[in-house]
Amino acid sequence: MAERQGLLTSGWARLGRNKRYLVWFYLLNLSLARFGAAAFNNQAHGILDHSLYSGRLVHGFDMAVFGEMLARPEFGPTAASSAASTGFAVLFFIATALFLPGVLQGYASTYRLPREDFFRACGRNLWRFIRLMIVAAIVFGIVAAALFGIQGALVKAAGESTNELLPFYVSLACLTVIFLAMSVLRIWFDLAEADVVLSDQRAVRRSIAKGFRHTWRSLGSLLSSYVLTTIVAAIILVAGIWVWMRLVPADGVYRAILISQLTLFLLLIPRFWQRGVAVTYYLQNMVEPIAVQTFAPVAVVAPVVTPADEPVVAPVNPGSPETQAS
Amino acid sequence: MKIRWFIVLFPLVSVVVLSLAVMQHAAHAGPPQGVLATSAAKAANASAAASPAGSMAIPDTTLAINSDKPMSERVVHYEIDAHYDATTHVVDATEVLTYHNLTGQALDHFPFHLYQNAFQPNATWVREAKVAGNRDTGYDKWEAKEYGAEEIKSLEVVGQGNVTAQMHYIAPDDGNQDDKTVIDVPVPKPIAPGEYVQFKILFQTKFPETQARSGWKRDFVLGGQWFPKVGVWWHGAWNCHQYHAMSEFFADFGVYDVKLTVPQFEVVGASGVKVAEVSNSDKTKTVTYHGDDIHDFAWTASPRYKVKDDGVFNGQMGPVRMQILMQPAHWSQVERHEKILKESLEHFESWYGPYPYKTITLVDTEPGSAAEGMEYPTFITGGTTWWMPEGIHEPELVVEHEFGHQYWYGMVATNEFEDAWMDEGINSYTEVKVLDSILGKYTSIMNIAGATMGEREEQRLGYISAADLDPIAQKAYDYQSYGSYGGITYGKTASVLLTLEGIIGPDTMAKAMRVYFMRYRFTHPTKEDFLHTIEEVSGQNLRWYFDRAIYGSPVLDYKVLKIESYPANWYEQKKSSQKDDKNTIYHSVVYLQRKEDFVMPVEVEIKFDNGEKIREHWDGASRWTKFTYEKNAKVTSAEIDPDHTIQIDRNNFNNSYVVEANTKPTTKVTNYWVFVTQWLAQALAWWAV
Repeated sequence: MAERQGLLTSGWARLGRNKRYLVWFYLLNLSLARFGAAAFNNQAHGILDHSLYSGRLVHGFDMAVFGEMLARPEFGPTAASSAASTGFAVLFFIATALFLPGVLQGYASTYRLPREDFFRACGRNLWRFIRLMIVAAIVFGIVAAALFGIQGALVKAAGESTNELLPFYVSLACLTVIFLAMSVLRIWFDLAEADVVLSDQRAVRRSIAKGFRHTWRSLGSLLSSYVLTTIVAAIILVAGIWVWMRLVPADGVYRAILISQLTLFLLLIPRFWQRGVAVTYYLQNMVEPIAVQTFAPVAVVAPVVTPADEPVVAPVNPGSPETQAS
Repeated sequence: MKIRWFIVLFPLVSVVVLSLAVMQHAAHAGPPQGVLATSAAKAANASAAASPAGSMAIPDTTLAINSDKPMSERVVHYEIDAHYDATTHVVDATEVLTYHNLTGQALDHFPFHLYQNAFQPNATWVREAKVAGNRDTGYDKWEAKEYGAEEIKSLEVVGQGNVTAQMHYIAPDDGNQDDKTVIDVPVPKPIAPGEYVQFKILFQTKFPETQARSGWKRDFVLGGQWFPKVGVWWHGAWNCHQYHAMSEFFADFGVYDVKLTVPQFEVVGASGVKVAEVSNSDKTKTVTYHGDDIHDFAWTASPRYKVKDDGVFNGQMGPVRMQILMQPAHWSQVERHEKILKESLEHFESWYGPYPYKTITLVDTEPGSAAEGMEYPTFITGGTTWWMPEGIHEPELVVEHEFGHQYWYGMVATNEFEDAWMDEGINSYTEVKVLDSILGKYTSIMNIAGATMGEREEQRLGYISAADLDPIAQKAYDYQSYGSYGGITYGKTASVLLTLEGIIGPDTMAKAMRVYFMRYRFTHPTKEDFLHTIEEVSGQNLRWYFDRAIYGSPVLDYKVLKIESYPANWYEQKKSSQKDDKNTIYHSVVYLQRKEDFVMPVEVEIKFDNGEKIREHWDGASRWTKFTYEKNAKVTSAEIDPDHTIQIDRNNFNNSYVVEANTKPTTKVTNYWVFVTQWLAQALAWWAV
């Protein structure tokens, strides 16, 4: 428990010291999403701006009017708008992968990481992260396919039951298990990512192995930290939507934008908190000790005293030609 | 134990426990074994015993209606003794059908529907559904359990002998030799006009796993279209269509006496009134139902129904007992179901006419079955889930719709093969009216978390999805696709009738609907009967509208094409750099366009920036028109159909034009879009990197 509290507290402190990353990532996501929504926005302008019928979208939200807008030929295929937004969402994911090494480096620093160091870390670890993500994708893919496959089979079997609620409870239980399993995998690869960046580890496989060992060794404290932060994320999302729905009037468009964006900004916090937890764990438990060379003590020998009857030699000048020649 | 072992073992144990729980529940899904003693042989014995068959007459009973005399011209009397095997989902039964020849001519053959034969691979129903689409079934994984069958083992014409060998399948609609949904029965001696004929039929029906609102699911069964049913003599010929994927049914009114023998643990509901229930020594029970002035009989059984049957609606002709059979997990919604059922009864009685039957049975069907949302005489199925929020009015919508069919199908028994719009469409129109009244015009479908939707808009969306495919007036099975069948028969008809209401006025329309119901209840009216009634009541010749909206398929789309307002002395102003003021006279032009082929007169409201409003009328005859004004005010907006009475305009957005753009709606919907995009991006980044 103490270890978990230490991880959470220290992770939170790292998050607090590096708030600027949150802002950057938020702005990046917002910008990309706006680009992604450009087609949707233009098409909607063309249909809605000069029509009285669209008023039913402002004073309340009439699903029929919205559905009719999407169905209009001049709106174009909804898939086209979706594809653009999906593309930009993937772009944010790629950008996250690109800039994450800098974030981890910043989290591990005891000082404000200079910009050039941030980008240097990003560049130096780019290829390593690509390899890491490929391995992670394979592992996540296999585990997710297996677990979702089991879930599907169980829910199908539960569907044969006369208890209507059984499939729901089975789904819920399966999703809980899947969430825990995915969280464990996330911890594993978060630690591997921290190791790759902070140990400057070129051999990604070693970081993956090391991440696995430490995930297994400290599974309780790490998993509970991750689960708690995920619960925080869920609370933020639910609370944000609740406030949006309950406290913002239907025609309060700009207030809605404010609340929705605030919710999304706050939603970034738990994940960056988890990064802080991973870095803290790395620094506390995964740093390889620095090899220190030990030297045997040299016995102090008494100075040799030249007998008084020996002739006195003139002092040697270190810069003299004779000395250099020797 | 170290926590990491616990974490690893927890999912494993969870999976094992879940698997065991699931298997155990699945094992309990079937009925108790060893209690099912019914068999074909037993049914056959029962048939022999059960059919002294009564006399050659149709009873004039009124046991099931609040009337002291029959309300329909009774053509048929079905006496069925059926044994249901809950393990094999097979019914073995005897049927004694007494038919009164009121056709005015001698009849030498009788076609019968054998609907359950539709669910076979080469049947017309499956062939059509596979291509045109279907509400419930995906054919990629069509399994043997989804096959249905209905076989006449023996058929005797009383007094004329057994004609089993002479029966033969016919396919009057498409000539499909593999379709066995209609069988033609010759009678050796023609039945003279006014005479009776009696058929003794031994048949077996094997239900499929629910198809088209009939069949079994787990331990539930809904017996719909399950017995050999004679066709209707209509307009000088037998009307007995094959079962099509896009159609429903058609039958004559009469009396039903049905005995159902089922396992004792079953809870049973059916059309008509229950007149007896006796336990048998073989752990079965026999429940007897009687129905008057109905044209079909359906029943259901499940061991798990929870029943509420203490509700009574005091109707205009007498009390109506409301029996509600709910799934256990939906029991918390029973009051909700009863409330909408009662409110529907109140509205229909008040607006259209009395409900004469003594019962109405509402069945909440097995979850996941294709049995929800169906109408049979005095017996309807609803549709809900255990998690249904109050703000989503799906249960209300389904119950109201199916109850409405008691009027538009149950009593006004139109030919659903040929005029599907006259039951589904007229019912969808009255559904809009009733739900508007009960749940609000814009909230009758949903009103949750700020999102709303009204039934009239849902019907319109259905229509515009298929607006240019089919006319309303055509055979149900001739529609281009299942989507078109649904969009036109339900959505377009409702929208066309709502628009008609705008043309003749809501009060006149309400009166016409009442006259139509009272005049044609317990008959089989045609489309012209309906249209003539509206013309008669309104006193208007509406052929111009019916020809386009009912018989044709032109599309209606009016548009405010352009608005221009400029100072009349713009040239002088330009020279003197003078600015506009309130004394400036503007020359304004408003252009309207009829984009499609449906010509209809429309109103247009033009607003000026001094607050003035002008209403103009356009007959719509030309492709476009313009209205010009010289005023000391500029036009700010123009709106076609400002009272929103036209429901069939394919594009409502272009019906109005506001000069000054209002970007709020776009900003709002774009914000939703951006929020979802950002959230998905963050979720992806959370788990993938």
